[in-house]
Amino acid sequence: MPSRCDVEPEAKRAKTELTERFERDALPLLPGMYSAAFRLTRNASDAEDLLQETFLRAYRGFHQFQEGTNLKAWLYRILTNTFINSYRKKQREPLTISDDEVEDWYLYSKMREEGLEPSAEATVLESLPDEDVQEALSSLPEQFRVAVLLADVEGFSYKEIAEITAVPIGTVMSRLHRGRKALERRLWDVVRERGLVRD
Amino acid sequence: MSEISCDEVLHEIEHYLHGELGQQQSSRLATHLEGCGPCFERAEFQRKLKEIVRDKCRCETPEHVVLRIQQAIRLEGEFE
Repeated sequence: MPSRCDVEPEAKRAKTELTERFERDALPLLPGMYSAAFRLTRNASDAEDLLQETFLRAYRGFHQFQEGTNLKAWLYRILTNTFINSYRKKQREPLTISDDEVEDWYLYSKMREEGLEPSAEATVLESLPDEDVQEALSSLPEQFRVAVLLADVEGFSYKEIAEITAVPIGTVMSRLHRGRKALERRLWDVVRERGLVRD
Repeated sequence: MSEISCDEVLHEIEHYLHGELGQQQSSRLATHLEGCGPCFERAEFQRKLKEIVRDKCRCETPEHVVLRIQQAIRLEGEFE
């Protein structure tokens, strides 16, 4: 005689199949998503919680995910939304003053003014401690930070970023352009603070 | 294929480096960069900068976090 648990074998089988598919397709993307969580929350313990909440939400909503569409972008969308809804309120927004006054080719021009040779420029930037570059990115205003993170760290296309952040592609391009310039300005501050060029 | 100015190249360089230009525009820029030292130098600078930012900002999820999340999902599946 079948036990009580077997009254809905159909539903149970579907559930198992969904779990297996989640473990096979979604979980392998978990190891690569830590940097994004960390850059967003700016500390390890919130990053871990954010990742866990992201994956639990993804698991609960996995039946709504259309197989064959972009799973990675879907997960990053949940990550970004979860961050905005749950974690952002705890943080003070970094100062945004004068981020729009940064001219194009800011870092290149500054290094040129210092008389650095093209080959030396990359060496100076490479010698920056990882934490300094991470902090420079984390300190950008949120919309810029998310755009630069998704494009230049995670390697998403403009179209994917538009999907993840639910804004038009023109907005993505403008945020990226402004965000990259703002990042260059912060990196230049770090280069000077570290004494890597003459002041 | 028509010529392209330095101004236009520098204006589009960030889209070019991100692989966002169409094939035709992309090869116009590539051709220009091959023959124009100053533009090439700037393009290389931006390319390296992008690479450095990526390399310095990427890190793997620590093993204990992966395990914790796997376990949380397993529990979620069992008790739903």
